[in-house]
Amino acid sequence: MEWFRILALISAVVCLTALLSHFIRLVRAGKPVDHAIRAGDTTRGIIYSITGAMSPTKKESAYLHLPTYTAGIIYHLGTFLSLLLFIILLAGFIPSGILRLIISLLLAVSTLAGLMILVKRFLNNELRSLSNPDDYISNLLVTLFHLMTIAVLNFEGARVFYFLEASLLLLYLPVGKLRHTIYFFAARYHLGYFFGYRGTWPPVKQ
Amino acid sequence: MTTGQKRQKALEIISRKDNGRLLTYLNSCVHCGLCAESCIFYLTNKDPKFIPARKVDLVASVYRRYNTLTGKLVPGLTGARELDGDTIKEMIDTLYGACTMCGRCSIHCSIGIDIAYVVRAGRSMLATMDLVPATLQSTVMAAIETGNNMAIPKEDLVDTIKWLEEDLQFELDDQNAAIPLDEPGKKIIYTLNPREPKFFPLSISAMAKIFYMAGESWTLSTEMYDVTNYAYFSGDDTLAAEIVNRLEEVTLKLGAGKVVLAECGHGSRAFRWEGPNYIHRRYPFEVVTSIELLKEYIDTGRIKPDKSKNKRRVTLHDPCNLVRGGGIMKQQRDILNSCVTDFVEMTPCGNDNYCCGGGGGQLSMSEYNERRMSAGRIKADQIRATGAEIVVTPCHNCVDQLIQINQAYKLNVQIKTMAEIVADAL
Repeated sequence: MEWFRILALISAVVCLTALLSHFIRLVRAGKPVDHAIRAGDTTRGIIYSITGAMSPTKKESAYLHLPTYTAGIIYHLGTFLSLLLFIILLAGFIPSGILRLIISLLLAVSTLAGLMILVKRFLNNELRSLSNPDDYISNLLVTLFHLMTIAVLNFEGARVFYFLEASLLLLYLPVGKLRHTIYFFAARYHLGYFFGYRGTWPPVKQ
Repeated sequence: MTTGQKRQKALEIISRKDNGRLLTYLNSCVHCGLCAESCIFYLTNKDPKFIPARKVDLVASVYRRYNTLTGKLVPGLTGARELDGDTIKEMIDTLYGACTMCGRCSIHCSIGIDIAYVVRAGRSMLATMDLVPATLQSTVMAAIETGNNMAIPKEDLVDTIKWLEEDLQFELDDQNAAIPLDEPGKKIIYTLNPREPKFFPLSISAMAKIFYMAGESWTLSTEMYDVTNYAYFSGDDTLAAEIVNRLEEVTLKLGAGKVVLAECGHGSRAFRWEGPNYIHRRYPFEVVTSIELLKEYIDTGRIKPDKSKNKRRVTLHDPCNLVRGGGIMKQQRDILNSCVTDFVEMTPCGNDNYCCGGGGGQLSMSEYNERRMSAGRIKADQIRATGAEIVVTPCHNCVDQLIQINQAYKLNVQIKTMAEIVADAL
């Protein structure tokens, strides 16, 4: 196996181990404890939290910001696709023909979405005031990952750069804000549990 | 305790390994900033420091500095901050002075962070360091030292209640109509917001009339009747627990089987929902809000409101702690539909409703009055758009803020509690 594949493999193991440690820490923290008498259904609250409450019709952060919301969805889908391809490419397989073309086109769109989000963070005063270096680095690493995936699918010479970039991203992922990979799901769980317990979620029809 | 020891105690609040909820939220924000428009302070001031994500980051950046590898080694990379004078100053101004902990941003956060919960954790840190704004702290201490947050002497309360009782007897033409005080063995112990005996006694009369019509067995306690708990706002769990304990003790002493919480959003939340967690046990009695009780009376026919007595257009302001924080949303609409002929909703309403600006202890922190009244513009616009003549809200803090908004924005509406509108229909 080439040295850059070995590096990427090691980085993936480090990344997964670190994410697992975050997950174990959350599990060890235990389930929510509430001494108040429950008024609602926590299971239904959690289900609503990860379904209905995420709907762009319900979430102001989505329906008031449709271009950013859409770019964000595309960006995340592109990231999942790139991660899936990383596993395939690490194993030595390369999609070919029309499949390669379709994937490249999809990733081109997600790369543009990532760039749009990055540019917005640079240009928007308010967003810039919220940002720290990690916000820019995280976005840049992920967007480059999409771009390098397109490159490696179409140019054999890009392999070294692709695996180097993927290694960097995987090593950085657990230490910066990209660790929301784990915490996002925990946040939806806790929010759903809380509002479900009190009978706020799922909302009743008025 | 030295300043250093206090800071250490404050840091322990966000470093606990057994609070998965806080641990999750402190690690989740991606600084997308899409929560900005959910906040009345941001909407009315457009200052980036009012963006809810910024409030989360104030607490989370301190967490990162002391609890993450990058925060310890390269704090600048993730914006990790020391808990120093500058950070503390910003925390006081933003977490106390620019947030009502209404939770609207929590519902709309793209990740799902309960931002109000993080803000309260930040307030708890400040309370641990004895840095609660003096105005808010004095309200908490009034409750601790005198038994009610307005420091009303017992004799004044008794005088007011006796005067109200005479009025009630006159109105109902029944010398047996009563507002019972400290009577043991009643089914219900009813609480008050001290603003009622002090400024709005008619809301006590309204509830007393409803209890009379429903044939209820109830009493007030002169020892502990205050439904509010400003320590919930200040972030001081020890004092919050003391206030909760007092109401629990008096309920047990009088042998009431049910506590009915007066129309007070945060008070309902603090006793019904947060209280058992402050004292780490369940109450040995039932706790309901007066809204749930009114709904029950109407549903079971114990009171029979005549909606033709309320013909003016009415709208409803949803108190954040009762609705988002307490799951009481449909009940107050059902009550209004039974008691008025022309009920119109604000837009948005229910779980999405905007805070009036009076929550979070804002009403007691006079140093932020200008900011509070400016944030109230959103509610003023909502009310004006309904064309209503009466605004009903089941929360005395909201009533107070709405009265001020009414004057400041020249809305020319009447503000009423739910008990008042129900009593008008009887």
